[in-house]
Amino acid sequence: MDASEKTPAAALPRDGSLLQKPVDRRRALTVLAGAAVTGAQALSACRPLNPLTDEEREVKLLAWREYIKGNYQFMTEAERAETIARLERQALLQRGSAVTIQSTGAQPGVVFGYAFNISKCKGFRSCVEACINENNLDRNADTQYIRIFEMEDGVIDLDHADATFQHEVPAEGHFYMGTQCFQCADPPCVKVCPVGATWQEPDGITVIDYDWCIGCRYCMAACPYWARRFNWSAPEVPVPEVNPNQHYLGNRARKTGVVEKCTYCIHRTRQGRLPACVEACPTGARVFGNLLDPDSEIRWVLANKRVFRLKEDLKTEPRFWYYTD
Amino acid sequence: MRTPGGGRLVRALPAMGLLTACVASPPSSGGTHDPGAADSSAPGTIVAAAGRDDSLEPGALGTVRAVLVDGWKGPGGRPFEVAVRTRDVESGHARRFGTITLRTTLRGPSPDLVQYPCTSCHLGRTVAMKDKRIGDAHQNIQPRHPALLGAVCSTCHSPDAVDSLALRTRERVGLDNSYRLCAQCHFKQADDWAAGAHGKRLDGWQGRRVVMGCPDCHDPHRPAPLPRIPFRAPTLLRGRGHD
Repeated sequence: MDASEKTPAAALPRDGSLLQKPVDRRRALTVLAGAAVTGAQALSACRPLNPLTDEEREVKLLAWREYIKGNYQFMTEAERAETIARLERQALLQRGSAVTIQSTGAQPGVVFGYAFNISKCKGFRSCVEACINENNLDRNADTQYIRIFEMEDGVIDLDHADATFQHEVPAEGHFYMGTQCFQCADPPCVKVCPVGATWQEPDGITVIDYDWCIGCRYCMAACPYWARRFNWSAPEVPVPEVNPNQHYLGNRARKTGVVEKCTYCIHRTRQGRLPACVEACPTGARVFGNLLDPDSEIRWVLANKRVFRLKEDLKTEPRFWYYTD
Repeated sequence: MRTPGGGRLVRALPAMGLLTACVASPPSSGGTHDPGAADSSAPGTIVAAAGRDDSLEPGALGTVRAVLVDGWKGPGGRPFEVAVRTRDVESGHARRFGTITLRTTLRGPSPDLVQYPCTSCHLGRTVAMKDKRIGDAHQNIQPRHPALLGAVCSTCHSPDAVDSLALRTRERVGLDNSYRLCAQCHFKQADDWAAGAHGKRLDGWQGRRVVMGCPDCHDPHRPAPLPRIPFRAPTLLRGRGHD
């Protein structure tokens, strides 16, 4: 259908340039946004007591442009560069932090895998601390992606495990087991998303477009591992503590009403670095690498150690294995 | 393929200029990058290995002193490096990689290499290492290992070359090769360590493989991890009305 039939002609430019070709809703909104800001400008000129400063006008324009952008999956490289430039500018203007947002794609021939040594973890939670700092997690709501469960030796029983232990560790007769997003190969969270705001990348990382998420939280209900977190309020990170090395699909600023999750530190791992949790683990309980590289450490662990996955019967195929020495 | 320094390309975009361009016309495909601007930032970009861009967190592995491991190979027969501590005494307690501080306080509170090199006192002479410890200069060391097995100082330390460790083969190796000494008993752990299932790889899963050595985590005289108070517990728990 010719979209111009549906569009109110009055809202379009006088020269009719848009009427001569099919106009989609998004393009029309783009024009409207420009008109709205120009209008606000004209209006403020009539009210000299309350003029819009250049910065305020820019903030409004940035918000408009961000509001009407598309899903990250279907953006062209140029569109991605534009939205990143806007987001970086927004971070500077609205939060006062100079950040660098990557749009780095998956490396070819790489699928990430993770192994966790339950013989080695001592429950120090250094991984949790590093994760909070690295991923700009909400300090106000105390969001944490990683859970460390303390269990008595002999049986893996997460129903009766303690995730809130706050005593000197390791405790006698106990072992520790960490959970986070397992980056399932068949992720139920992706299947249930009604708007396509979450998807699996070629390197196996399930990501979220925070600007496309509508906050319905279906994915949280679908995840059998409680890997996703909801932002009931706008995340608060003190400016000096903001990690400026960010990724569009990872640790950039989130907003109220969207879901977030562990991305194996996508901004680090796509640069060849280890995730923050692996980097910070003082006991070496965490192994990370490329599952498609037969000579990687993760493949050696899978081939030579006794490994298991959590809730394997659900067939979500987590790319996260537990092993023992 | 990834373009190294992709983040810089984005940074090079003049945000304001782009913004006005957006208002004036719908975004054109491509053409927003200024190739000259991108090239000008390229010389600062250091690509250490294929697929890695070290400009994002400069100097991460560059701060680690490492030597090639002798006698073990990584998975697939790949050679790898081990971090050395004799020239980087504090590294066993904390290392910093970008935003992340790795605190390896599995070890005791006092660095055991404060008296290194041994020849600064012992002047290269042969030391009489007696089975019974006397009131010597090393009272800060209270060995629990491998004393339980009936071992003494000279089990590991070389009396005739004090800066060296004594292998069972009568070979003398430096402190940076201590993995060779430890592996004499802990051969299973050494194999796991070489393959990546034990110990820690530093900084990256790609590129140079640099792992920490045995004494980076384990105090040779008291190898078990020291207990400590963990980072704060989570406050949001599932099943209490929160998600």
